[in-house]
Order: sequence, then C-alpha cells, then structure tokens
Amino acid sequence: MSKTILKMDHITKFIFDAYGKPIRGTDVKILEDVHFDVCESEVHILIGENGAGKSTLMKILGGIIPQDEGTVELFGKEVHFTNPKQAEEMGVGFIHQELNLCPNLSVAENLFLGREITGKGNVFSKKKQMCDESRQMLMRLGFDIDPNVLVRNLSTAQQQIVEIVKAISCDSKIIIMDEPTASLTQTEIDHLFDIIRSMKKQGISIIYISHRFEELKEIGDRLTVLRDGCYVGTIDMADFSHDKVISMMVGRTLGQMYTCTHTPQKEEVLRVEGLKIGPHTEPLNLHVNKGEVVGIGGLVGAGRTEVAKSVFGARKFYGGKIIYKGEEITKPTPKSMIQKGLMYLTEDRKIEGLVLRMNIEQNITLASLSEMFKNGYIRRNEEEKASDEMIKNLNIVCTSGEQLANTLSGGNQQKVALAKWLNSKPMLLILDEPTRGIDVNAKSEIYQIIDDLAKQGVAILMISSELPELIGMSDRIYVMRRGTISAELTDREEFKQETILSHTI
Amino acid sequence: MGKEQNNSDNKKKQALKTYIKRNGSVVIFIIICIIAALFVPRFASANNLLLIVKQSAIPIIACIGMTMVLMTGGIDLSLGYTIGLCSTIVGMLVKTHEMAYIPAILITLGVGSVIGLINGFCVQSIKVPAFITTLGTGYIIYGIAEIVSHGESVNRLPKGFLAIGKTELLGLNTTVLISAIICIVFYYILHKSTFGRNLSAFGLSEPASRLSGVATARINVTVYVVSSVLAALVGILLSIDVNCAQPTMGGGGYTFEIITGAVLGGVSLFGGIGSVIGAMFGVMTIKVIGNCINLMNAAYYLYDAIMGIIILAAIIFENVKNRKL
Repeated sequence: MSKTILKMDHITKFIFDAYGKPIRGTDVKILEDVHFDVCESEVHILIGENGAGKSTLMKILGGIIPQDEGTVELFGKEVHFTNPKQAEEMGVGFIHQELNLCPNLSVAENLFLGREITGKGNVFSKKKQMCDESRQMLMRLGFDIDPNVLVRNLSTAQQQIVEIVKAISCDSKIIIMDEPTASLTQTEIDHLFDIIRSMKKQGISIIYISHRFEELKEIGDRLTVLRDGCYVGTIDMADFSHDKVISMMVGRTLGQMYTCTHTPQKEEVLRVEGLKIGPHTEPLNLHVNKGEVVGIGGLVGAGRTEVAKSVFGARKFYGGKIIYKGEEITKPTPKSMIQKGLMYLTEDRKIEGLVLRMNIEQNITLASLSEMFKNGYIRRNEEEKASDEMIKNLNIVCTSGEQLANTLSGGNQQKVALAKWLNSKPMLLILDEPTRGIDVNAKSEIYQIIDDLAKQGVAILMISSELPELIGMSDRIYVMRRGTISAELTDREEFKQETILSHTI
Repeated sequence: MGKEQNNSDNKKKQALKTYIKRNGSVVIFIIICIIAALFVPRFASANNLLLIVKQSAIPIIACIGMTMVLMTGGIDLSLGYTIGLCSTIVGMLVKTHEMAYIPAILITLGVGSVIGLINGFCVQSIKVPAFITTLGTGYIIYGIAEIVSHGESVNRLPKGFLAIGKTELLGLNTTVLISAIICIVFYYILHKSTFGRNLSAFGLSEPASRLSGVATARINVTVYVVSSVLAALVGILLSIDVNCAQPTMGGGGYTFEIITGAVLGGVSLFGGIGSVIGAMFGVMTIKVIGNCINLMNAAYYLYDAIMGIIILAAIIFENVKNRKL
C-alpha cells in the first residue's frame, strides 16, 4: 500500500452557524471523534446520508472552518489551517458542489484569479500569456474550451471542468470533489472519470463525495462511511456491495426501498396533445390517469422540467393542447392550475420550492392560505393544526412549526415543499426530481408518500434522473430526448435501465 | 434532548429574544425616550410628547406605504415628489378653482394612484429596477408640479378645507385620527390578511411564491399604487397642516426621512420583512431625535447627519442580525 499522506484523527466539531462561529448554549456535535485518512494517488470515497457530516469534515480539511478537537496531519506534518488559502498552499484543492467561479470573467481570468501573471510593477496583467497558459492547461487534460469565453456562457459541466483544471493548476496533491457529477450527463461523467484516472497516475489523491452508487464502484479505491457525525468504517472497494454500504449508512439493512402497491384507474386526468416546449422542438403527447404514477426519464436538458412548467403555466407557452379533467386549458397560470388541483413540486426547492426565511407553518400553508382565511382574517390555529398534521404525517424532523425552513436538512425541506401541495389537496401532482440530494431514509419515506397518494387516486407525473427510482415507482414511463418524447414504455416488464437509456441518447 | 427543565427555561429566553427581534423598533423607541427624558430638559412633558405624536402622524402614513414597497424588495424614491405634486394639485383645486373638497381630494388621490400605476408598471412589466424607475418618475413629477404651479405656492387655503385636518376631537386633531385609522386598516392588511402574508412571501422569494400561486405581479403593482395614494393623502394633510400648498412640499429629503423611519422600524431592505407597528415607532423615533435636537438648541442641520448615521447603523445592524440567524 502506498504511503498515507493525510490523516485526520479524533476530529470533533460542535454545531456552528453559517459563518463558522459556534452557536452558544448548545453542545450538539456535528462531528464526533471522526477518523479519516487518504493515501497517495487513491480515490477515496466519502459517503453518508445528508447531515452525516461529510461536508463539515471536508470544510475542516479545506481550511474553511477550524475543528474544535482533533488533529490534521498532512504529509507527515501536523497542520492548523485558519483560512482556505493556507490549505490551498499546502496542496488541498476544493471543488465545491456549488461552483465557485465568477460568471462574468473569462475562463482564463478565472483560472488565474488571485494569482494573475503581471508584468513590471505588478500593475498590468498579461492577458495574452494567461490565455495561452490556460489553453495549454485545458488541452493537457483534453478539453477544448476557449479560455476567452465568459464562464457564464459555459454549460455546468464545462464550468465543473474549469474548476477541476483550476484545482490541478494550483499544484494540488489532494483534490476534494463534492458531488461533482450531480449536474453532469453520462458522457460528461465518463470524461470526468478519465480525468480522475489520469490524475491518479500523476500521484494526485482525490476525495470523492457522492450519493450515486453506480459511480462509486467504477472510480473508487476505498470508501469511508460517516453516519450522524460519527465514523462508521472504511472498506476497500473490492469488498463493496450495495447492501453492505447502505446498511453502514443507515445503521440497519433497508427493506424494500420502493413501495408500489397502488393500481392505476381508468379515468383520465390530464391529456397533453402537440405540446411544444420551444419554438423549434417537436410536439409531444402524453396522458396521465387517476391513481397512476407516470415517470418521465431522460437526460438533464432533454426538456422534462420544461414540459412540467408548460403544463403548470410557469413558463412561456409555445403551442399545444392541454386537456385537464375533460376541460381544455387555454391559458394556464400557476394560480389557476393550483385552484384546479394541478400542482408542481419543483426540482429546485431552495429557490422555487420554499420561502426559506419563512417558517415551516407559513410554507406549508402558502398555497392554501385562502382556506385558512375565514371571517376576515387568517385563522392562526387552523394554520397550526394543518401544519402540525403534515409534520406528523410526513414525519418532518423539526422542533416546531415555527422553525425557519432554511434551518432544515435537505430531506426535511423537500417534505415541507411536498406538504405545501398535499395541504392544497392535489388531483394531479407533478414531481420534478423529488428525491434529488436527499438521504436514503427520507427517500424511501417520500416513495411511501407517493404510493399513498396514488392509492388515494391522485395522478402523479414524476420526473427523475435516477433510473432505479423510475423503474421502481412508475406504472408507465415516458422517455424524453431533445425536447420531445422519444418513447413510451407501458409494460413494467420492459422497464430496464438499458431500455430507458437507449431512448435517451 | 433529556433536559426538559433547561428546555422550558430556554424557551422563555427564546420567546423574549424573538419578541425583541420582532419588535426591535419598539425597544429602540423606548430606550431613546428614556435617554431623552434623562438628559434633555423639558422632553418629558405631556405637551412635548403630544407634539411628537402630532408631528409623527403624517409621516407615519407615508412610512406605511414605503414599508410595503420595501417589503417587495423595491423602493419608492418618488414618494416625496408625489407629496409635492399632490399638495399643489389639491391646493389649486380648492383655492384657485374653488372646487368642492371631496371631489378635489378624490382627484388628488386619483393622481396618486396613476403615479403608482406608472411606477408599478415600469418595475413589474418593463423590469426597470425600482431605484431607477422611481428616481426618474420622481423628478418628472417634481417638474410637472413646478410647471402646474408656475413655481408659486397657494397660501391661505379655505377654512372648511383646513377643518378636515385641524378639527380637535378628544384632545387630538383629525389628522392624528386619520393616521390612526390608516394604521389600523394597514395593520389588518399586512398582518391578518392573505395579502400581507403573500406580500411577505413575495418579498422573501419571488420564484417560490409565484409557483405557489401567489399573484406576484398584482402584488408588485399594488404596493406602488398604495404607496403613491398614501403619499397623495400625505400631500393633502401636509398642505392643511401648514396652510400652504406648494411643489416643494415633501421632496427628496422627506423621502429619505421616511425610508430612515421604515428602516428603523425593522424593514429589511432585502425584502419580505416589515410591519405597521415598526413603521409607527420608526417614525416616532426619528421625531423624538429631531425634537431633542430642537430642545437642546443644537444646529438643526445635525438632524440630516443623524438620519444618515441611523440608516447606515440600521443596515449594519440588520446584516449582523441575519448573520446570527
């Protein structure tokens, strides 16, 4: 085994606020006695449910926040980072989940941000030289990105690549990648993995945080599991098995992940004919019945969200016919569709799904406020009753309905967003990536909720990038490609990852 | 969490904390009043306090409108100039054209609503930032007021018209009562009705509230209309108060004072948070400070500087507060 270059021992961190300052009066630990090490040129996977402490641990390593107890040993020396710059100089590169690039600067300017090549007197930067060097750096890794292009004009995947190049160009020996594939397509993921392999050959180690099991096996050497801020264990990828890792993550063996006990009814709720989601896309048709879960698969960018938003009236309408409960809808708007019982759970809960600085209660009643409004004012007790019921039914973990939504974990936020719609009594619920970025437990709870809804006769249109989820939950699957529907799979027997994938590309 | 005892203690502390957080304006007002009572002679007399209430009555009306605009994340810089134009119009209608008072007032309020519609339309439909829109319309309004009045003021308004704001009732004049009624009405609208909740949601997150079926566009235009109509009312009441109608009534300085009041009242300049109680106490706090400067015979120009300090301090305070959330 090659030598260990990073050792983190007995790391403990108390709960802290958004600025890394400890919150007074609490002794809740987000990390407790965690051990973590990385060898030279290995890909070490860090896995755990949301809130398990992965990001916190990496923030300590990246010098963004200090640990409260424990030691960090890098290349045999004990280090105490007080800011990210120091960590960077010691060879720790951090690629954040939310990209840290300046959108209005060019690729080259971003790559050399803070260390521009300057001429005499440190006044003027040498643009051309920076451009040339950037191009070389990009070419070396096999990317053809023009260094003069503004970053905001790049796709998310390309931006990710710029981040990676930036980390490598800083002579990083350890690169932390926080869910790098979350927004990439399969080809881009493959390319990313090629880069990771070539970095490995150059002696660079990678700490790889991800939720996607399929990837881990392909790329990882070792895997460390965290649970509730505690170290669970490290295994070699040779011993990797799905069930083993999941049971390490949740502390018990999961039973059936997906629940699919509903049966679709005959009555049609929504029929879409000739819908165009852009001026130049092919028209598409789809329909959903009562009590049916219909999946929509496809790559990111295939136009799935656009279909949902067109039906919901949240974007420009490019033509087509929407027939909802036998009535043709000519001008859909979110307000009118919600009143008719058609609701849309967005893929971006932080921006579009929740009002983060309102409390749980206000978020849950936001769409059904007029029902709470009786005799001239908002009935606070009815509001409270409704939200408490939802908190109980959906098992939302919180101190009370008064808690602000931005203090909740991802899974609980998603449940609050879902509760908002459930409280408005949906007839047809469009779910856009309902389980993105939430932990395994919350996932299976959300599947249970979806199944229950279908049993109550709610029609469900579920957009998802996770094929197992589509296959496990859907009665029918539409696959989308380039802005239109490329296939409809009606037979559950046909539902195979390969079949769906073949229609997406 | 096996610490029930501790928890209930903590809860009480938490409740007090949230009370102070939510009603910071009241706390600040009380603190400043106590300091003033201790150090400024003649401050703590019934007459002086009554004077402060009377002085605050009119700006509070404007401040409620401004609070609503600020809650959307916008700003209404044309407010002071709307006051000037409406003062001019109502003065000319009742004095020069000898129009009946009720139609004159209705026309003036109508002018206010048109100004609000224009502001709201630019902000909502053309997506011009509120700052720029209202800065522009403000100067246009001022220009119009100067043209309409030929730069002259209308003095000695009819007695009957003055009676609208100057009749004494229960030891207070009708202006204070009108202001009180407006406070009650808007307290209900902002804090008890769905409109208020939706306004708050809209200010905090436009996309989330739009996708939750909140009529965001309507709210956005409505707040500018409300702000301008209230400004028109302020124009009328100010004219009555000083018995003079002129285009320089209100103006940029007045707008600034109102914004300071709103900010002192706990409005978030980033949108979403604000209250009528806050607007009331915010304005009263400013008036107390002005009053103290007067009583101490300090240079009145100090007032503007203090307003500037307050607005900066309030914004810094808000940032720090948010950081601790």
